[in-house]
Amino acid sequence: MWGIKEGNMFKNYFTIAWRNMKRHKAYSAINILGLAIGIAACMLILQYVWLELSYENFQEKGDRIYRIQQDRYDSGKLSTQWAAGAYAVGNSFKEAIPEIEDYVKLVQNGRVTVDINHQPVKIEKVFYATVSFFNIFTYPLVAGDKNTALKDPYTVAVSVSTANRIFGTTNIIGKSIEMNRNVSYKVTAVYNDAPVNTQLKPDILLSYATFLSRSRSDQNDPETAWEWDGCLTYVLLQKGAIPKTVERKFLPIVDKFVGADMKKYNSGVTYKLQPLTDIHLYSNYMGEPDTNGDGKTVYLLLGIALFIVVIAWVNYINLATARAMTRAREVGVRKAIGSFRTQLIIQFLSEAAVLNGFALIVALAIVILAIPGFNALSGQSISFALFTQVRFWISLTALFITGVFLSGLYPAFVLSGFKPVEVLKGNIGGTKQSSGLRKSLIVFQFATSLFLLIGTVTVYQQIQYMRKQSLGINIDQTLVVNAPIVGVDSTYLRKMNAFKENLSQYPFVKNATVSTSIPGEPVQWNAGGIKLVGADDSKQKQYRVIGVDYDYLKTYDLKLIAGRDFSKSFGTDNSAVIFNRKGIEQLGFNNPEEALNKRIDFWGAQYTIVGVTENFHQQSLREAYEPLILRLIPDVNGYLSVKTEASQAAKTIELVKAQWNSFFPGNTFEYFFLDDHFNSQYRADQRFGQVFGIFTGLAILVACMGLFGLASFTTLQRSKEIGIRKVLGSSVTNILKLLYREFATLLLIAFVIATPIAWITTSNWLQSYAFRINVHWLYFVIPLILMILIAFITVSFQSIKAAIANPVKSLRSE
Amino acid sequence: MIQLKGIFKWVNSGGNRVFLLKDINLTIKEGEFISIMGPSGSGKSTLLNVVGMLDDFNEGEYNFIGQPVHQLKEKHRAQLYKSHIGFVFQAYHLIDELTVYENIETPLLYQNVKSSERQAIVADILDRFNIVGKKDLFPAQLSGGQQQLVGVARALVAKPKLILADEPTGNLNTKQGTEIMELFKQLNEEDGVTIIQATHSEKNAAYGSKIINLLDGRVEK
Ligand SMILES: Nc1ncnc2c1ncn2[C@@H]1O[C@H](COP(=O)(O)OP(=O)(O)OP(=O)(O)O)[C@@H](O)[C@H]1O
Ligand SMILES: [Mg+2]
Repeated sequence: MWGIKEGNMFKNYFTIAWRNMKRHKAYSAINILGLAIGIAACMLILQYVWLELSYENFQEKGDRIYRIQQDRYDSGKLSTQWAAGAYAVGNSFKEAIPEIEDYVKLVQNGRVTVDINHQPVKIEKVFYATVSFFNIFTYPLVAGDKNTALKDPYTVAVSVSTANRIFGTTNIIGKSIEMNRNVSYKVTAVYNDAPVNTQLKPDILLSYATFLSRSRSDQNDPETAWEWDGCLTYVLLQKGAIPKTVERKFLPIVDKFVGADMKKYNSGVTYKLQPLTDIHLYSNYMGEPDTNGDGKTVYLLLGIALFIVVIAWVNYINLATARAMTRAREVGVRKAIGSFRTQLIIQFLSEAAVLNGFALIVALAIVILAIPGFNALSGQSISFALFTQVRFWISLTALFITGVFLSGLYPAFVLSGFKPVEVLKGNIGGTKQSSGLRKSLIVFQFATSLFLLIGTVTVYQQIQYMRKQSLGINIDQTLVVNAPIVGVDSTYLRKMNAFKENLSQYPFVKNATVSTSIPGEPVQWNAGGIKLVGADDSKQKQYRVIGVDYDYLKTYDLKLIAGRDFSKSFGTDNSAVIFNRKGIEQLGFNNPEEALNKRIDFWGAQYTIVGVTENFHQQSLREAYEPLILRLIPDVNGYLSVKTEASQAAKTIELVKAQWNSFFPGNTFEYFFLDDHFNSQYRADQRFGQVFGIFTGLAILVACMGLFGLASFTTLQRSKEIGIRKVLGSSVTNILKLLYREFATLLLIAFVIATPIAWITTSNWLQSYAFRINVHWLYFVIPLILMILIAFITVSFQSIKAAIANPVKSLRSE
Repeated sequence: MIQLKGIFKWVNSGGNRVFLLKDINLTIKEGEFISIMGPSGSGKSTLLNVVGMLDDFNEGEYNFIGQPVHQLKEKHRAQLYKSHIGFVFQAYHLIDELTVYENIETPLLYQNVKSSERQAIVADILDRFNIVGKKDLFPAQLSGGQQQLVGVARALVAKPKLILADEPTGNLNTKQGTEIMELFKQLNEEDGVTIIQATHSEKNAAYGSKIINLLDGRVEK
């Protein structure tokens, strides 16, 4: 039966498929367009998903590389979670655990400046790294020896692009680079730039030996420091080593080194292995070397894309089975003249293949047209190189084949199952069951659309809520300049004071302050071991600390709920601190007044609490309030924030820049406005919301196209019934009611199904926001009403036509 | 060629057995031309469908060219009728999306006839039926008589031993009907094709060598 002659058969099938398609243009258009939109959406989102899932997959030893992640506990409660933990971890673990083949320590240095043509240029990503960096990670060297590079103090490895930027060549081994106009480093290696899909994209690697030689003192050796955090440690496990087994060996080692201290301070620390490839999507801890992605988002988007395709497939099934009536006779004839059922199944699958094939072509066109828009929307950089990727074509083929079989098989079985005697007589058996299936599939489409709509509404509400909420800190009209790094010496305080003094002469400059952190980003300074003077050691806790000058509270309009601001009129303010409400609560006070004038132990020195501020949002509303200490450091080096008047923004930039260049020559002038900076925290959320909204719209559009097609068939079939009813005196509204009842019932069933699922999903999604809206019944009812409207308009196109049609006509056509 | 022994067919309707065929005993030899007559609802179509194996029966024996149809599996039965039986319908039942040529060709496709052979057979039959000029037209572009001509051509193309025709002229005018009947007669006499037709027309029935009268599912003696 499957001989070579099947070829002729296929030609016949495709001829029929093609002619059918031409004859039923609306039907074909609905199917092709729906499928095409689904496939295109899927392909675009897959691009994004692939990139997100591909992180670190170029690392040749990637499956054996793990990062050591650190959790700190205070009084048995989890207090901070670190990507970059204690410095002693790497060497201590390596010594004691044979399964650890090698380890690398990385410490973020922050940006540096390098002079190019006597102009300071900023280099963003600079890390200290141990020699093993090039053994563990795959950054091929184009010059230098990977076993000796980064061995000695004051040596560096440079990426190819940075080398070209600074020297115009990569042939630079042995040359020196001066950074921040004060320290010179010798280049020992040049490595290929990292691809986009990695968390580690260093421009320059400084030898870890440099870090040691700087920070080592008699009392203080990073190699044995378990209290200081900020060191990323990656280990390479031996082949076949089981991570869980290795993890179990951590506890005794930690106990040996710091067990006694931990007990004394009633604190704790634990370590886990994070697979390198999981970090990008599933890790968001303190000291991450890069902004990470979000696994939830990736899979949600993937889910939406699949939903759209499935909805399009469902359209095909629904329309094909609804149309079965018109195909039944053909099936009967074909069987009577000698077709086997399998041959008919193949025929109907061929038709599905032809339709899906056309959809594929249209989808490719849509992808080409939509790439720029999608990039703008999602912040991706998908290019036409896409079409040279094997996986692109593989997944396209997979979608095609799945589409043909998933959507084609059921109609093929229904249609090919007709009995010739029956259908040639005009009876169609089996339509009851396929109309039951059709109804369930419509319910599925409605439910999916409702689910997505509820999701969209919730996401938008949450974003709106976050943006409208008062922060408790005034970030408007604030120009921020990155800290100077060149010329920060004993003259710094004098220069900075004069600088601020100069600015304040201008009436449009309201305030200016210097601080180690600004709103809109995590506070990098985390200090443990803080307690009230005289309290038991076990009461030590961790706090976030911002070093500020006298003008911080004024500049940022922070609200004091007790005590006073820092002031030069108190000579003792050099040892003064201001807590936020959360901070004094962690100290054990409920009433802010009680905390005033209490003294705290802060790393061997004592400070007095002079004020308490209300909690404010240091970061986006995704993050909870943290216990915070504002510590007065009159000569603090950090961000410079300048409050100005709305109309004078441009002038302020000019002025600050001029002053900056004269006071801090050799530094790049890098500025931004704080509200932009703060709101950029929501960029990912907003993108997600937009992508979600648009793809929800597409899903609904595709579902509506199917609904439209189905409504056309149903009304066509029922035109006689409508005609008779009209003749019997039924009004148009009565007839419409009859038509709508069925769809309304299905929609309500869909609502009942979608609601609990959407409830669980949205609540779960909202969990990642510390400050969030409550799931509200309106977020469900609004989508329902919207869906009712959309569905009814869709159905009405056809049914109103049928209802107002002249009954005589439809009866005569019988 | 065809032997029906004690064939019963019934359907259950509201707990009652409604007999569609009652104790049919028939023997039809190769080369016969049989006309089945009877009032509307007497079971003519039902009988033809049973003979053509499109429909099954509840009781009795049916032998077709020596094969016990009542004992054959569905698949075998299909194989049997496909290679030996051609159908002509009152409503023509051509496939709307296919041209005349393709309609006639389709049964050969289902029987895996080679392409070159197929062309020859179809060309031959088009020629014989005088419809070469119409081969690229679609059914909707033909008159009823022409459509039925194509229907007969399609039924004949695979060279069946038996043709079953259910009121083949029912939708045609007298002249067209006569043409089809003449064609049947010719096929029967010159090619030795066995024909069984159901008809309401005495005149058409007379083309047959034998007339069987049905009443209420029973053969009238
Ligand atoms: N599946 C069925 N269920 C119930 N009754 C049936 C079924 N098929 C046929 N009948 C009945 O069996 C009887 C015979 O039908 P059949 O179609 O064979 O008649 P006919 O002689 O061909 O009539 P006509 O000349 O009108 O074509 C009719 O009364 C019909 O209603
Ligand atoms: Mg009949």
